[in-house]
Amino acid sequence: MNPEKEKIRTLLKGVIDPELMVNIVDLGLVYHITMDEDKMRIIIDMTLTSPGCPLGEVITNSARELIVENYPGHSVEINLVWEPAWSHDRLTAEGRAALGGY
Amino acid sequence: MQLASQNAPSPDIVIPHFVLGGLTWLCATLLITFSPEAFTQHYFNPKLLSITHLLVLGWITMVIFGALYQLIPVIMEVKLFSQKLAISSLAFLATGTILLSTAFWQFKLGLLTHIAATFIIIAVILFGINVFSTAHQSHKESIERDFILTSIIWLFFTVAAGFTLALNLTDPFLSPPHIELLKLHAHAGIAGWFLQLILGVSSRLLPMFMVSHHLTMQKLKLAYYLINAGLITGIISLYLQERTITIVSVLILISGIISFLSFLTEAYKKRIKKILDIGMKQSLMSFLILLVPLILVIVLFFDFLLPDEITVPLSIAYGSALLLGFITSLIMGQTYKTLPFIVWLKVYRQKVGKGKIPLPKDLYSEKALNVQLWLFASGFIVLFGGILTGKDIAISIAGAILFCSVLLYNFNIFKIIFHKPITEKL
Repeated sequence: MNPEKEKIRTLLKGVIDPELMVNIVDLGLVYHITMDEDKMRIIIDMTLTSPGCPLGEVITNSARELIVENYPGHSVEINLVWEPAWSHDRLTAEGRAALGGY
Repeated sequence: MQLASQNAPSPDIVIPHFVLGGLTWLCATLLITFSPEAFTQHYFNPKLLSITHLLVLGWITMVIFGALYQLIPVIMEVKLFSQKLAISSLAFLATGTILLSTAFWQFKLGLLTHIAATFIIIAVILFGINVFSTAHQSHKESIERDFILTSIIWLFFTVAAGFTLALNLTDPFLSPPHIELLKLHAHAGIAGWFLQLILGVSSRLLPMFMVSHHLTMQKLKLAYYLINAGLITGIISLYLQERTITIVSVLILISGIISFLSFLTEAYKKRIKKILDIGMKQSLMSFLILLVPLILVIVLFFDFLLPDEITVPLSIAYGSALLLGFITSLIMGQTYKTLPFIVWLKVYRQKVGKGKIPLPKDLYSEKALNVQLWLFASGFIVLFGGILTGKDIAISIAGAILFCSVLLYNFNIFKIIFHKPITEKL
């Protein structure tokens, strides 16, 4: 992954699911990061743990605000995708540990 | 697909349900404390009728209405059809409940009861129109939706049956004994309305909160069909006083409940969130408590072998275990999963990502919640013992303990709803 995308990914670790108390990267919710430096555009494809997640808007807004703050002048787009559906296989080792050792 | 939070109704229609429900429950604990004899005589007495209807309408149904307005966007993925209908329904339900409980307490079964029952029927019709119209907008088919919509049909049947019973009491026109019809009305409400609604909502929410996936949905479908088959045959057999068929129908219903409990157990075992918060722990405990009334109802199959001195307290214990042990416990637990989020979203929606903000669980006092839980468990056990042994003093003590528990519950409700925003700059 290129350094800027890695930086964005690290930043997104600051976005916590308030119900699960784990960040969205370690939960495996972030699927893809696209960065177009020429057009100053950042696109993040992500999902939620369930389609009916009541905190969905909060999580996506948190992600957007965090990236906007760190990349002034860039347009930031958060795309919610439902395919492939999230599953526990996407948890990182840190995510599993945070959820009680799953 | 719109996010659930984008479809969420105004908190101003949800919060009043929790407030009124909590205060009603508090009043009920005072009645239990100062009128313990309601629980130690035959269950068809004015005070127990009053307390029961205060609980089932003013506490349980009230909170369920409010919670459902919040949960429908999650389950059906559309906005609530009408917020005005929700407010109107609340007004009729609150007024009808107060009038009905007063009428029962004074045993004035004429005009006052009829007006009260009419108000409650109107409340239910408005609620039903709202939920069915919402469902009509949604293309999301699911067994949880079926549970909810079917439970509302049973709710309407229950209140209509109640109104019919009120008429029958003053001017008998139905052939079965009134006491048998009371069982029909009670079980339509408990199993048809409460149980199905709870199962439908729980089957979505509990796996979501525990982050459980790949569950066997067939167990839910089986539960749905068995419970409704049991209910329909049970209601008919109670009316026709066909005892054997009633017993079979109860066994069918219990099989449905067991199928659901199997689903829940699977969700628990497959959960990704291993450490459960206190609201979830109480919710899961309440499903364990459900086993108590299930055992009691099987014992009551043999009531023809037992004297009234045993079957009457057992019947009251059975009803108390269902309404207070299972349903109330579950609602109190799930309040801490629902209400903080509703208020938190209202207060912090625009502040997300712009500073350090509290989490939903920071809106209430966990210390008060812990004490509330212990007091509730103690109060319920003492109440149960008092009912079985026929001791008024034990019931009064239980009422006082429950009053303290519910006071803390209301303290937390008000702490949550009056939360003021706190933001620290990043």
